[in-house]
Amino acid sequence: MTDAPRAASTRRFTFSAGHRYWVERWSPEENERFFGRLTVPHGHNYTLDVTVRGPIDPETGMVFDLGELKRIVGETVVDRFDHADLNADALFRGRVPTTENLAIVVWELLAPKLGADRLAQVRVWEDPTLYVDYRGPDG
Amino acid sequence: MVELTRVYHFSAGHRLENPALSDRANAALYGPCHRPHGHNYYLEVTVAGVPDQLTGMSVDLGQIDGAVTERVLSRVDHQTLEEVPELAGVVTTGEGLARAFWRLLAPAVPAGALRRVTVVETAKNRFQYEGEAS
Repeated sequence: MTDAPRAASTRRFTFSAGHRYWVERWSPEENERFFGRLTVPHGHNYTLDVTVRGPIDPETGMVFDLGELKRIVGETVVDRFDHADLNADALFRGRVPTTENLAIVVWELLAPKLGADRLAQVRVWEDPTLYVDYRGPDG
Repeated sequence: MVELTRVYHFSAGHRLENPALSDRANAALYGPCHRPHGHNYYLEVTVAGVPDQLTGMSVDLGQIDGAVTERVLSRVDHQTLEEVPELAGVVTTGEGLARAFWRLLAPAVPAGALRRVTVVETAKNRFQYEGEAS
């Protein structure tokens, strides 16, 4: 089994969420000076690409059951963030919901469920012109 | 460490031509790409950084946008690439453009932050350059 060829599989998810950039310990003026229009509550149609990596199971021919991946990411990430206010989520208490932090939060939600050794990369697209990749604290 | 990628767009004309070769040799080497034509290009610029504890931002996106706009997009958009001074001596393949854009952008972003420059020439062709060391 350890000699089985390895591969990576990626599945795409979408969710829409609201957010704004705001540092609680700053005054409104400081926030507006630093973040500008990003302080105004707005939203995005996010796209999430989750990549899992591992040996190709000789029996199933799969690295990971993508139906299972769909269920786990759906329950853990999409159900939580779709049509939600990211700033109101406990995971973003004291953490500005930038695309960078969202990618890290999604990794932290998924790594325990998928196994940090199986989860290879989280890619969060804020819109078609901007995405962030996170490959874990060691990546 | 995260990697942030920004996607930009420009349209430009070009032709593949090695000035050291004859017209006939260029036509034989590059085929239809030797004829003057153009593309709707996409340029993807990837920078690496650690999100700031307070602001959650890994890079100053305004700085990246400004550098790409000033140093690349304003020079190449709706131009003939062979006539752009910054691209003098570059055979304007996707590989050549990716490397040329890297060299234009590296000095204008935080030191060591530039991770990858990708030139998407058509929906079927993409070219990535990650610096001399890779």
